Amino acid sequence: MAEDQNTVDLDLVRRIKSGEEEAFREMVERYHRRVYSLAYGVLRNAEDAEEATQDAFLTLYRKIGTFDESKKFFSWFYRVALNAAYSRARRRKPARTVSLEDYLPRFQGDGHQASPEFAAWVEGIEDETIAKELAERAEAFIGELPPAYRDVIWMVDVEEMKPADVAETLEISMPALKSRLHRARLFVRERLTEIASVPRDGERRTAP
Amino acid sequence: MTHDALTCKRIILEYLVDYEDGSMPETERRDLELHLSHCPPCVQFLASYRATGRCLKMLKPRDIPRNLAEAVLRFVRKRCDEKE
Repeated sequence: MAEDQNTVDLDLVRRIKSGEEEAFREMVERYHRRVYSLAYGVLRNAEDAEEATQDAFLTLYRKIGTFDESKKFFSWFYRVALNAAYSRARRRKPARTVSLEDYLPRFQGDGHQASPEFAAWVEGIEDETIAKELAERAEAFIGELPPAYRDVIWMVDVEEMKPADVAETLEISMPALKSRLHRARLFVRERLTEIASVPRDGERRTAP
Repeated sequence: MTHDALTCKRIILEYLVDYEDGSMPETERRDLELHLSHCPPCVQFLASYRATGRCLKMLKPRDIPRNLAEAVLRFVRKRCDEKE
């Protein structure tokens, strides 16, 4: 996020700390869409995401005094928002997650792709209706990912946040971020290929 | 990286993410593109990797509930009033 964004954020933070109600209103206006979208990525349910957004701003209001102004505000607040969403998620029945190893592409001993298949859906994506349908399926597949992978792919590929900003928010290294992102993309790609392509012969995993 | 060492497996599992975000060093990028020039399965894989990214981008912008900002302000005000 650009430096001037953080300057605007810090100005609002100081005004909120000094008790200016209008500054809090401006902060809500500035961040509520992004916070909602982030929470939706974790919860994938509109009502829960709305409640998590409210929780996140309540925490912001109450804990703003603990925010260290030498840090970037958005990464602090995104962590607050993610925690609000995780907290809601814990109250629900745990979602079924998959083993990513089961959905890696397969290779022969010499490193060539094993039974490379023609991913027919790649051409279908030019059609808007098909593309929307595939996107909906992709969203469901993201929901099957272990949380550490789910949040990274949601923030980078759906929210289109800068990878460096995501790494900072999640407090992980760039290599770790890229590794999770790639694994998550490979999983979603594999699942889309599985539902929409010519099946591989014989040894295919059974889709649930 | 020698060309011989650059298998489909290494490209797909190790290098694709750097290739796509432009952070791959020039020499390695050239080796990877040389591999692509004679490996249709990897070209196809790359196309599907990119198509996956395009699908994911379609999930945004998401509909935001109407009056969410107002609902947030009401909620925070109410909770703070309860506390006082």
